[in-house]
Amino acid sequence: MATWPRNFLFAALVGGVLASAAPAAAQAAPPSGCQTCHGDQAQPALAAPARDFAGTDVHRDRGFTCVDCHGGNPNETDKAKAKAPATGFKGKPAGQMVIAVCSRCHSDAALMRKYAPKQRVDQAVEYATSVHGQQLAKGDTKVATCVSCHGAHGVRLVGDAQSPVYVLNVATTCTKCHADADRMKGYMLPDGSPLPTDQRAKYEKSVHHAAMVKGNDLSAPTCNDCHGNHGAAPPGVGAIANVCGTCHTVFATKFALSTHSQIFDRSCVECHGNHDIAEPTDAMLGTDKAALCTNCHTEGDNGSKAATAMRSEIEKLKEAISHSQALVASAENAGMEMGEQSLALREAANQLTLARTEMHAFDPKPVSAVLQAGLGITAKVDSEGQAALAEVSYRRTGLAVSLGAILLVVVALALKIRSLRA
Amino acid sequence: MTEQLFAWLDERLDLSGLRAFVAEKTVPVHRHSVWYYMGGITLFLVGVQVATGILLLLYYRPSASEAYESVQFIVSQVEFGWLIRNLHSWSANLLILMAFVHLFSTFFLRAYRKPRELTWITGVLLLFIMMGFGFSGYLLPWNELAFFATKVGTGIAGALPFVGDFMVRFLRGGDDVTGATLTRFYGIHVAILPAMTTALLGTHLLLIQRQGMSVPPSVEKREKAGETIPQEPFFPNYVLHDVMWWYVALAVLAALALFLPWELGKKADAFAAVPAGIRPEWYFLAMFQTLKLIPSHVLGFEGEMLGVMGFNVAAVLLFLVPFLDRKNPDGRQNPFITFAGVVAVVYLIVFTIYGYLAA
Repeated sequence: MATWPRNFLFAALVGGVLASAAPAAAQAAPPSGCQTCHGDQAQPALAAPARDFAGTDVHRDRGFTCVDCHGGNPNETDKAKAKAPATGFKGKPAGQMVIAVCSRCHSDAALMRKYAPKQRVDQAVEYATSVHGQQLAKGDTKVATCVSCHGAHGVRLVGDAQSPVYVLNVATTCTKCHADADRMKGYMLPDGSPLPTDQRAKYEKSVHHAAMVKGNDLSAPTCNDCHGNHGAAPPGVGAIANVCGTCHTVFATKFALSTHSQIFDRSCVECHGNHDIAEPTDAMLGTDKAALCTNCHTEGDNGSKAATAMRSEIEKLKEAISHSQALVASAENAGMEMGEQSLALREAANQLTLARTEMHAFDPKPVSAVLQAGLGITAKVDSEGQAALAEVSYRRTGLAVSLGAILLVVVALALKIRSLRA
Repeated sequence: MTEQLFAWLDERLDLSGLRAFVAEKTVPVHRHSVWYYMGGITLFLVGVQVATGILLLLYYRPSASEAYESVQFIVSQVEFGWLIRNLHSWSANLLILMAFVHLFSTFFLRAYRKPRELTWITGVLLLFIMMGFGFSGYLLPWNELAFFATKVGTGIAGALPFVGDFMVRFLRGGDDVTGATLTRFYGIHVAILPAMTTALLGTHLLLIQRQGMSVPPSVEKREKAGETIPQEPFFPNYVLHDVMWWYVALAVLAALALFLPWELGKKADAFAAVPAGIRPEWYFLAMFQTLKLIPSHVLGFEGEMLGVMGFNVAAVLLFLVPFLDRKNPDGRQNPFITFAGVVAVVYLIVFTIYGYLAA
């Protein structure tokens, strides 16, 4: 799983820092005049910045103040004087101004090294390549900027579970806009169709979401793992296999060898979908009703034959493993030690997994070779399982004979004792 | 030829005297005679343990990296290895069960009365040694349950006042249960305890032969009243009877070994999570359950320490039974001793069952 794109998010965790004003600051500053006045405001929109900045905020924790992003004179008690042009007061940055304000520090490698030396400093450059950045450059002010995802006041580290860009919160943050049909109205996909707003609903049905939320696998992909974060854009046609291949490396390698890689416009997505990727099953392969191959192939063509052959061999190994497992369980229940055979069956299951991977090259020959190796293992386990059951039978017969002999001796001894007493 | 050989040996070992002793030796016959055979069955099971133990030694490897695999090899690859290992495991449990039965039958029949105090003391010591065999042998397959049960079991020794920490380190061969504990337990199991058993069992049997069978107070009373208690020759009657019971024990053992094979389980992994249902072998379960029920602190003392000290006191009292039961030297029933015995039996049965159900 690609975790590095998420690290890029980390690079933008500081929402608004002015390079010249703040680098010397290193300790949390006391409340300024800005906070005092804003804190007393009745209007929530005016009071919120002071309240949020006074709470957990990564910038405040490192000694940055309101002035570092907004300018102004915090020591001045008169509002007009505090916000006089001579103080450099900028007000509330919006649009390109947000990018400029944030990147003053976040694009300054020398400055960032003092606070977060591992952070990248190319977020602004990346952003300019994103759909968001390109739209903003065209004058579209509805698009996301730094603060849309990270927040402006109360900015938290990316690794903070309460951060809007924490891995578990990314889908919620992105779909705050992308699931809003009104907001997305007018935006189009490259093919001219309207930009859908059902990505989150679909994602929540996907195997990736299940892995993250139910399986607690924080490395499972969320929006930014496929689309990027600061450079967010849909993977272009031809890049999909590469994107999926960042995690599913072997599948991507096999797929690249296949004829399909030359034909499929949307590579992996053709069969697996994108946001709603379901748990893949063997039923996807073959020529029966549930199989996806029939979407393109017709009965009797080469693809259909290959799909049928691969599916039937996979089913054969599955049945063989299932049969062997039952046999081993039966022998184990009878008290036989079947540790080696259980281990061998795990290897057979590995061969099945390998065959399912190999299948992505859509060439029946290597798939068959792997499956035959698996069938060889199950045949050996079956033979040993049968031998174990025969051994159980032999032992029981042996016990019956021994018990019979023992009983005879006991009876003989009892009779002898009786005769002696008589 | 046989006679010549006997004459040759007799000249050197005075076998005639022994033969005369055996020929003249008799055993009393009464309605409690059946309890005499419990000791014989226990002795037979000791023999089974020695024989099967020696065979297991041929393949067992006492190290943390090889112990589990060697037992796996014994039960799956060695010809009749499964039988030997199952017999050893089942026989160990039956042995301790029969040792308890033998102890309590001796107790309730007051067989420890003068002059048999030493027979009683060696018997009690042998029971404790058998439990030591069980405790040390349980760890040897180096499986998960045994590993964690040993961790708990040896940890309990830490509750002893003053010597607790030393005892834990002494038993474990370090601060924790490791491969060092395994080799230590192996040494105890195959060398130290067998040597002690040989000496004590020899003394125990010698005392029995020397002093003859005790008769219960009720029978003794009849004897003193002038009634003649029937006797039967030790050889062949009693010996044949004993052998008959041995065969019955062998049949039970064989059936258990085949139909309820002793599970090997998973290999011990010190880093694995403690599996659910960790508990000691059944003969420690009553004590284990008692310790679990005692509050953490009682009257300012640590509850576990009080429990362990209580068991030690009980063990000392058990040794001293022949000397404590002196109120009725004429053999009349001492109601307190009988009551204490009944309480002990009920306690052991109830708490063992409770321990099983609680786990």
